[in-house]
Amino acid sequence: MRAGAARLGASLAAVLAVGLLIVLVRADPDAGSTAQTTLLDQPAPAVTGTLEDGSTFELSRRRGSWVVLNFFTSTCVPCQREHPELVAFDQEQAGLGSLGAELHTIVQHDDREAVERFFAENGGDWPVVFDDEFRFQNAFGVAQVPETWIVDPTGTVRGRVIGEVTAEFLSTTIQRLREAL
Amino acid sequence: MRRRLSWLAVLFVTVGALAVGASRDGGPLDPGDRIDAISRRIACPVCDGESVYESRNPASEAIRSAVREGVRAGGLTDDEVIAEVADAYGAQVLLLPRATGLDALAWALPVTAAVVALAGLASAFRRWREAAVQSGEATDDDRRLVERLRAERDGDGSGGSR
Amino acid sequence: MPALSVNLALGNAGLLITLVAAAVGAASGAVALIGGNRRAIAQTHLFAWPALLGTVLSVAMMQIALAQRDYSIEFVQQVGSSTTPTLYNVAAMWSALEGSILLWVLVLVVFTAAVALRFRSRRDDPLVAWALVVMYVVTTFFALISFGPASPFAAGSTVPVGFDGPGPNPLLQNHILVLFHPPILYLGYVGFTVPFAFAIAALVTGRVGEGWLLETRRWALFSWGFLTIGILLGGWWSYEVLGWSGVWAWDPVENASLLPWLTGTAYIHSVLVQQRRGMLRVWNLSLLVATFSLTILGTFLTRSGIINSVHAFAAGEVDGYLLGFFALVVITSILLIGWRGDRLRAPGSIDSPLSREGAFLANNVVFALFAFIVLLGTVFPLIVEVVQNRQTVVGAPYFDRLSMPIGLVLLFLMAVAPVLPWRTASTELLSERLLWPAWIGAASLASAVVLGADGWAPLVAFGLGGFAAGAALRQVALSTRRHGWRGLVGRTNGGMVVHLGVILIAVALAASNTHTHSATIELERGREVAWGGHTFELVDVVREVDERTDVARADVLLDRSGVYGPAVTTYLQMGMTIGTPSVRTGFDKDVYLTIDGTNPPSVGDSTVVLRVFVKPMILWLWIGGALMALGTVMSAIPSRLHRRPTDPTSVSLSGGAR
Repeated sequence: MRAGAARLGASLAAVLAVGLLIVLVRADPDAGSTAQTTLLDQPAPAVTGTLEDGSTFELSRRRGSWVVLNFFTSTCVPCQREHPELVAFDQEQAGLGSLGAELHTIVQHDDREAVERFFAENGGDWPVVFDDEFRFQNAFGVAQVPETWIVDPTGTVRGRVIGEVTAEFLSTTIQRLREAL
Repeated sequence: MRRRLSWLAVLFVTVGALAVGASRDGGPLDPGDRIDAISRRIACPVCDGESVYESRNPASEAIRSAVREGVRAGGLTDDEVIAEVADAYGAQVLLLPRATGLDALAWALPVTAAVVALAGLASAFRRWREAAVQSGEATDDDRRLVERLRAERDGDGSGGSR
Repeated sequence: MPALSVNLALGNAGLLITLVAAAVGAASGAVALIGGNRRAIAQTHLFAWPALLGTVLSVAMMQIALAQRDYSIEFVQQVGSSTTPTLYNVAAMWSALEGSILLWVLVLVVFTAAVALRFRSRRDDPLVAWALVVMYVVTTFFALISFGPASPFAAGSTVPVGFDGPGPNPLLQNHILVLFHPPILYLGYVGFTVPFAFAIAALVTGRVGEGWLLETRRWALFSWGFLTIGILLGGWWSYEVLGWSGVWAWDPVENASLLPWLTGTAYIHSVLVQQRRGMLRVWNLSLLVATFSLTILGTFLTRSGIINSVHAFAAGEVDGYLLGFFALVVITSILLIGWRGDRLRAPGSIDSPLSREGAFLANNVVFALFAFIVLLGTVFPLIVEVVQNRQTVVGAPYFDRLSMPIGLVLLFLMAVAPVLPWRTASTELLSERLLWPAWIGAASLASAVVLGADGWAPLVAFGLGGFAAGAALRQVALSTRRHGWRGLVGRTNGGMVVHLGVILIAVALAASNTHTHSATIELERGREVAWGGHTFELVDVVREVDERTDVARADVLLDRSGVYGPAVTTYLQMGMTIGTPSVRTGFDKDVYLTIDGTNPPSVGDSTVVLRVFVKPMILWLWIGGALMALGTVMSAIPSRLHRRPTDPTSVSLSGGAR
């Protein structure tokens, strides 16, 4: 009877060890984060921020146009890298007239002067929203910049891109969404 | 008799102190402490398992501010504040596994293991007692063997060093 | 640059010597043992010395290379910097994967040589020879990793003239504890290789009696002591450096060090049952196997990048090796235990749960359960990922919640077990022996209530802490009354001193976890702010820049009596900014100041935002740790004069049991 118990214990330990090994072998260290969000196809949160001139920016009042929100800090290297793409995208959309998407930069936790200097040096004259109260960040759940969100003219969230974007990707995505609408 | 009275007194003091201490109303929780307690239960989304309470990452600062607003607004329980953050940032910010689906295993397995361990211990003791009753001779043999070995070792059996 | 490549060449050569010596030692030893060639068996120990010399050479070359900032070596490019102060430059060796494996090899060969030296009079004993073979196999494995995939002496890419490296991670170069925490922890980790090696040797030779156990008792005890100190130093470092005022975060790397500690603690208790009663043989072997394999598993978990952790080094190429070795250790051990199953059958039985051995058994079950929970929580995110391909985190609140009841049960066992006699106890006896400890427990509970503690869990912890302390003090008091100062040493009494340390730590943790208060305070120069019974006033913002760091420090007058300087430090070589807390330590409570956020204040700022923590009893954690270390040493000293360590008592007993 005792031998039975010992054997049971040993086989239990063996099973546990083998299970652990299987998990360890199969676990993938670099499973990337996905761009999924519970906000997709939901109304965009009605949050507010401060514009450069001190006036209030209200996301809910941008209904009627396609809105692209780019979360940004001036010190983040990928943000700096993607900036020329955003400039190109903004120019391209401006060419579409009233159909074109509006680009907004949402500044996360950054020094105002540094941001203004960055835009002066690198171009880009779209509205810059300072999210000093973390309202955009918390509503959209942006953990790490850069991140880009697409909101359609009805105020519904249509897309989220974590990491750098290209002008081409943004344009084609919005074009596709427009056609689907 | 005196000892029994003494034990009763110990019991009385213990139960009394526990009752006073555990039921004492420490007043409504200080909002700062509540923010701390909640932020200890949320993982910083970008810093490898640290909680928002520990981390100094800007994302954690943002989440702390969301928690602060949730607490200041009043009317929300801790769980509701956390659920709001998890809705925005995703379930991977929850430091406590949920009690549903696969995550429930994280709670069920320890409890199962504890029950199995207790049952195993109890059955082992029962078996030993039965074995001792059935074959008292063998146990005495062992006793003598152990005694002999201990005598050989040091001639003194009280549990000292080695 | 000929002088520079010497470091690289000699470093590699040293590792190669160790690798070859260990591999040849393992192979020739095993062949001799299997063939029964007594002369060859007696030569097994010889290989420990070239292995030791080789690694010492390698480590010396690494230190020289670090001191010279020899950038022809990749590792030095990675962690070296001309601006690192000498002390942290020495510690830079273990600030990244390759160097820390080298440190591991060093500790391992030192232990192997120590075994060869300690058992030199029994060179031809197959038990000792097999143990050495096992140590050689382990050394071969780590030397192979260090020589191959995680080579600290890999040649670096050519660097431009005037190149300077980034230096170690900023968190690893701003506190003196980084010099001590990793090596001491490694002494504990690696030290358990010795009892493990003897356990395997006992299984192979079939001498599974108590002989090997007695011979490795002190080795296990000292390894356990070092592991304990290493873990506590890690907590201290975290408290002093990380800025969130915590000592333990249940981070996977911390768990990886706790796991072998838990099984090791179970082992040093249950080993007493086997010594005394000859029971629990399979269990003790399993605990040693678990302890050793958990050190390997922990290294794998934390060094492979498989689990995200703030401690984790960059993902290396060593994970396959470590996982393979872990599998090898576990499978070999299980097979060996199964093979020797008939000889491991315990001769006796435990008569009553109400006995010393019954309490030890309960203690072991609780520790095993604790280890299971910690392991489960640590790997749970991986299980979820494999099954559902979803990211999850299992964090501190989970472990806190589950470890609380376990901690309380352990405190209770610590109170009852020391007064229990072996074999069986009557309730009458218990009621007599436990009365005073129970009064101490009730008194500590009552005084905690008077002092304003609330919440049932911490209160129960305070009460049980007093109860357990009473039981420990009772044993020490009785023993010193009978034997004078010698009543303080020896296994039982030293163990009680360790218990007192553990109780202090448990009570301090219960107090500091439940009664920490924190606030974010905006300080204005020259205006006093009061919070939580303390006053704070910003005196000045100071900036100190040298070639390594840019320190922005806010000098804060605390309680009008002392100036404390929490700072934000930017490490210029890496461009990393970290906060440095400043702590006023006291016997009752600590006041812990850090600058909120990571933006450094500027000189002339009239306001600074501080994050302040008030934490009770933190100092007692370290005092408890010191007591544990002291108790460990005391329990290794024989309690009676005629039992010198040189006395062959254990040898003769093992001879009898053979």
